[in-house]
Amino acid sequence: MATYFRRVYLSFAEHVLDVPPRLLASMIFLILLAYPITKPPLTILYVLSVANIMAIFAASWDLLVGRTGQMNLGHALFFGTAAYATALFCKFFNLQLWVTIPLGALIGVSVALIIGFPCLRVKGPYLALVTLTFPLILISVVKYFREITGGEEPIINPRFFPGLPMYGKQLADYYLTLALLFVSGVILYKIANSRMGIVMVSILDNELASKACGINVTKYKLLAFAISGLFGSLAGAFMTHMGSGASVNYNTYLGVALSFQAIIIAIFGGVGTIYGPIAAAYILVILDMYGLGKIFGWFASNNLIPASIIQIESSMHWIMYTLVIIILIIKWPRGIGRFTTDKLKDLQEARELEERGKHIWKTYKRKKEESEHASTRS
Amino acid sequence: MTQRIRKKLATRPVIILIVAIVAILAAASTWWYYSTPADRALALTKIRSITIFGLLAGGAYALLALGFTLIYGVSEVVNMAHGALYMLGAYVFFALTVSFAPGEMLVRFEPVLLDLRLALILAVILAAIMGAIIYRLVIHPIMGDLLATLVATIGIGIIFQEIMLIQFGAHGTRRVAAFVPGSITILGESVEWNTILSFALSLVFFIGLWIFLSKAKIGKAMRAIAQDREVAMLMGINTERLCMLTMAIAASLAAVAGIMITSARHAYAYPYMWYAPLYMSFAIVILGGLGSIKGTFMGAFIIGYAEIAVTFMAPEVVFLKDAVALGIMVLVLLIRPKGIFGKRIEMEE
Repeated sequence: MATYFRRVYLSFAEHVLDVPPRLLASMIFLILLAYPITKPPLTILYVLSVANIMAIFAASWDLLVGRTGQMNLGHALFFGTAAYATALFCKFFNLQLWVTIPLGALIGVSVALIIGFPCLRVKGPYLALVTLTFPLILISVVKYFREITGGEEPIINPRFFPGLPMYGKQLADYYLTLALLFVSGVILYKIANSRMGIVMVSILDNELASKACGINVTKYKLLAFAISGLFGSLAGAFMTHMGSGASVNYNTYLGVALSFQAIIIAIFGGVGTIYGPIAAAYILVILDMYGLGKIFGWFASNNLIPASIIQIESSMHWIMYTLVIIILIIKWPRGIGRFTTDKLKDLQEARELEERGKHIWKTYKRKKEESEHASTRS
Repeated sequence: MTQRIRKKLATRPVIILIVAIVAILAAASTWWYYSTPADRALALTKIRSITIFGLLAGGAYALLALGFTLIYGVSEVVNMAHGALYMLGAYVFFALTVSFAPGEMLVRFEPVLLDLRLALILAVILAAIMGAIIYRLVIHPIMGDLLATLVATIGIGIIFQEIMLIQFGAHGTRRVAAFVPGSITILGESVEWNTILSFALSLVFFIGLWIFLSKAKIGKAMRAIAQDREVAMLMGINTERLCMLTMAIAASLAAVAGIMITSARHAYAYPYMWYAPLYMSFAIVILGGLGSIKGTFMGAFIIGYAEIAVTFMAPEVVFLKDAVALGIMVLVLLIRPKGIFGKRIEMEE
């Protein structure tokens, strides 16, 4: 059995994983682009849009932490600030969406720079815990200015293309977020693999040594904060226009759970690879919002688990999700992105070895034949 | 010049405290000079209540943050499950002492099931065992990886929260029983015995921990681990078991804090109660310097006084109480990036 699985895996790896990564990524993008042809139900489209948003969010976190090593646990700050900024611009100035989203992103970047300055001084766990507190401060500020922000009530925003029917609106959301994901994913990946990204990795590895090499560490750290803040806040600004308004809650904007969701996705995908979090966001968000519920429903309908569990489904769902995350972190700490690249490298090495072996075998055979020839001739 | 000043500030944290106290005194004296007698009388009563309640709040916070700083100081684990253990203590204590009908509103009641002290001890032992299990199953395999530890322990917190949600329901309609009923009047302020008890307990635990770490053999071994893990291992110290013991002690401290604080404040026990104490213990521990017990005690009183001062002096911004505490933390970190006493347990005698 095991050998059979091994053979299946090997043939899969040889034939599917062997395409160039760029081609694979564009193929997946094309599949996602063409997916609405099958007329999926509204919920699936919504889940996929949220997955797009979370992919951008986790990838932007990954650029900051996986590359520069600035341990940021309050990434929801950018998301929430941009969301509230766009919502308030929409509410009080009646601006068009195409103006408010860039404005919100701009405010997110400036917030990133503002908190980037104090964060330059602190390191390690201190930095982690300090960044965790910034969204909390903002939450109490939002609760205090109740007249403007509505307190714990969400601010409902207009959606993209309000004239369309329900399904059309959701489709527009899906395509807009997918386009945003494509553009920002490409930009983030290019940045991470450019000279700037390499400099950032050098800061992560050894800050003192990179300082000694003449790198302006302050500049690059702030740049990482600004870029990461830009994409994080773009995600937040798009999210407010997708039906649920900006609000202060445990799980939505500004909440600790959101920051941790980004971190979980990035760890699952492999910290430091920009493509890993994007892939992981799809897997985890679909599992979280759609898959687990379906699995529970299937088990209950086949009388495998008591139906009373369905009543506490949301709790069981959270417990299962976090258990899966903890087990993955303990057993598989490198994430799927790095796992795939490792396997690909192994495959390439094996092939090289095989070819080299064939070459050696050929030369050996030839020499042997020659020697035999010579011996028979003599 | 500025560098010399900065160096001095870095080596002598007391200077900052003295400067702050002098600044506050100067501001107070100028205010005193320009104020009317009625204002002064009002201010005196306010100062009195701030002094008393700030002291009590600081004691409660110290109890809360001791465990957090202990586990970081010994094994460099930022334990986000601290809040969950706090909640576990409160819930188990509540489940052992009070029998309740669902949805019933209980304000004051007699302990029905068990004696309060026995319930306290049982809850603390359960939390300690839970802490050891968490250490063994989750934290030990990923020791040294800051990010993984943070995420895994916050996951444990979420699991506890959801279990409590299933078991006891979402609404905080029940209260944890009071230890000592009644109150006492100190300097014209009525203070409940429960609050005083939690303050005294925090003092006892602080001194006890101090003596344990400096005198007992196991405590010395813990300090040795904090200093250098590998050398401690070479000296024949079972680091794994000791870290587990440290985690158990930290968990029991968290449980005691949960029981004492919720019962002293007559607060409800509800599944989301673990977030706020977790943030407060961050603020305290970072303020004092991660892993420093003395610093934690100091930070607890600073944060406690700040919160109480905000509540009494500006009641209209009481919503911003947490923001003020966290803002103080950020400001202190700007001056001293490793907290006021940015040392580790090994350096303290």
